[in-house]
Amino acid sequence: MIWRSFESEWVKMRRRRLWYGSYGAITAVVVLTTIVTIAGALHRPDARGDLTLAQLAHASGLSEGLTQSGVLLGAVSFSIAAFQFGGEFAHGTLRNLLVRQPRRSVLMAGKCLAVLTFLIGAVVVATMVAICAAFVMAHLRGIPTSAWTSGTGMGDLGILLGDLAISACGFAIIGMIAGVLLRSSVIAIAAGLAVLLPVETILTDAIPGTARWLPAQLLEAIAQGGSATAPFGAALTTVSAYLMGAVVIAMLVFVWRDVTA
Amino acid sequence: MSAAAVATKPVVQAMVRETEFHAVVTLGLTKRFGRRLAVDGLDLRIPAGSITGFVGPNGAGKTTTIRMLLGLIRPSAGRGTVLGHPLGHSRAYLPRVGALIEGPTFYPALSGRENLMVLARLGGIQPRRIDTVLERVGLGSRGLDPFRTYSLGMRQRLGIGAALLPGPELLVLDEPTNGLDPHGIAEIRAMLRSFADDGMTVFVSSHLLAEIQQICEHLVVIETGRLIFQGGVKELLAARAPELIVQTESREDAKHLLQLVNRIGRSAHLVGDNESMTLEIAADCSWAGDLNRLAMADGITLVHLAERRSTLEEAFFEITRSCAGQTVRENDACRGAGGSDRATGPRTPEAGRP
Repeated sequence: MIWRSFESEWVKMRRRRLWYGSYGAITAVVVLTTIVTIAGALHRPDARGDLTLAQLAHASGLSEGLTQSGVLLGAVSFSIAAFQFGGEFAHGTLRNLLVRQPRRSVLMAGKCLAVLTFLIGAVVVATMVAICAAFVMAHLRGIPTSAWTSGTGMGDLGILLGDLAISACGFAIIGMIAGVLLRSSVIAIAAGLAVLLPVETILTDAIPGTARWLPAQLLEAIAQGGSATAPFGAALTTVSAYLMGAVVIAMLVFVWRDVTA
Repeated sequence: MSAAAVATKPVVQAMVRETEFHAVVTLGLTKRFGRRLAVDGLDLRIPAGSITGFVGPNGAGKTTTIRMLLGLIRPSAGRGTVLGHPLGHSRAYLPRVGALIEGPTFYPALSGRENLMVLARLGGIQPRRIDTVLERVGLGSRGLDPFRTYSLGMRQRLGIGAALLPGPELLVLDEPTNGLDPHGIAEIRAMLRSFADDGMTVFVSSHLLAEIQQICEHLVVIETGRLIFQGGVKELLAARAPELIVQTESREDAKHLLQLVNRIGRSAHLVGDNESMTLEIAADCSWAGDLNRLAMADGITLVHLAERRSTLEEAFFEITRSCAGQTVRENDACRGAGGSDRATGPRTPEAGRP
């Protein structure tokens, strides 16, 4: 049953324009962040501890640029997921889907899996392109890349890819929840991005220690493999609890609410 | 067994008997949105294998009723069955139901074929059925074009195609002719007839009463969420007395003829202005010969003589006008207005509630 819903959603997501737009946006974000990170690396360490060319030459150097793309990647993932779910209400297509699949939880689970696989694919493609860009930038800036292709470097890259995928999926799940609860892709994207980006940033700056409790800050920490305020394990645990609770609420609302759209 | 269960058992047994002959049966179906009562104790009987028209003014509760039948909206009260399964178990009957609800809504960027593929995959329907359906609704050659390029008529046809995908036993169409030109309406009408010929039960809501009169055998009329008539279209129209419409050469002749007709006990009245005057006589065409002889005997020449039967539109306005805002006792009169054994009077929220 979930497989049918998954397949059905993929019929929609196979369309070329969505593919190019989404994969293009995510790839652009990751590649741009990588290029800016490597281009901005300093020759010598400064007082602020900014990234240096010597640090980029380490095995983890290849991952340095990618880790910075977590929030932007999350924003794009959030928007795509909110669009896919909120749009069904806004366009009135949800009623057609529910006549063919009355089990609403099955419909939602299948759609959710389809969107997540779509985004994981986008993260993988974006990372591959960003790696190519990183090698080009390393060549331009004279950074030795032998450590990047070592076993340690590849291991770091694999872990980072996983972290980015988890982070993107987390943002996407929040997007789906926003789409289901707000029943409009435009409102879901606008309200969601406002809360996840400026509001959370202001709260983090204004109230020390809140970063370890705010979902977007936690997902950003996960994308970076953990941060000083939110270590990876703690961030993953907290955000998983948030998402599970929110998914249950969204599922209950989706199952019980009348479909009047 | 609880007292409530004992009390409701005969109702359930009656419903089980009804489901043998009816595709849809509801008892006291009610939907309340906050303080607004959208559907009020609706007792529907939709005969299996027929085309049933579902009419009522805007906001009467037609779409809400349809959404409840399709499991999109939860009834506030009442019960019912669709294809023999309880309303609450829509997953049991929806695979055998096709529906077009409030106009065709599809993904604009996808082709007609892809849009149907989304629904086919979801419903576990064989993809080869898509081509059959597209051919049936006349979109075989345009199936690969994006939905956004379709005309309104094509969109409606794709919506009907989507409803036909599962090879339904029950087809529920909400305003399928909305916005169509006369040619498009005729196409949809022919299509609906062909579905009924295939043995499908068709439940179609429409504002176009002339269309309903042409294609439907059965009719359900609701107003402000309440059932005010259900029964055969022919019975409804037959219950309304026909009139003979007569025109004479002059106004004086018309007045004279009125006196003659009244003298022999026929009800008649004059309508019109000084230029032309028409006599309307409560009689059917079997009395036309007698009338003609009566007029000729007094030297009156009839320039026009025809029988006029009520249209569905007139019947609709008559029953909606007579039933609007009436009490339960008054509603019993509306039952008679239908003139059919199967006609059902409107119900109060208490009446018929299980």
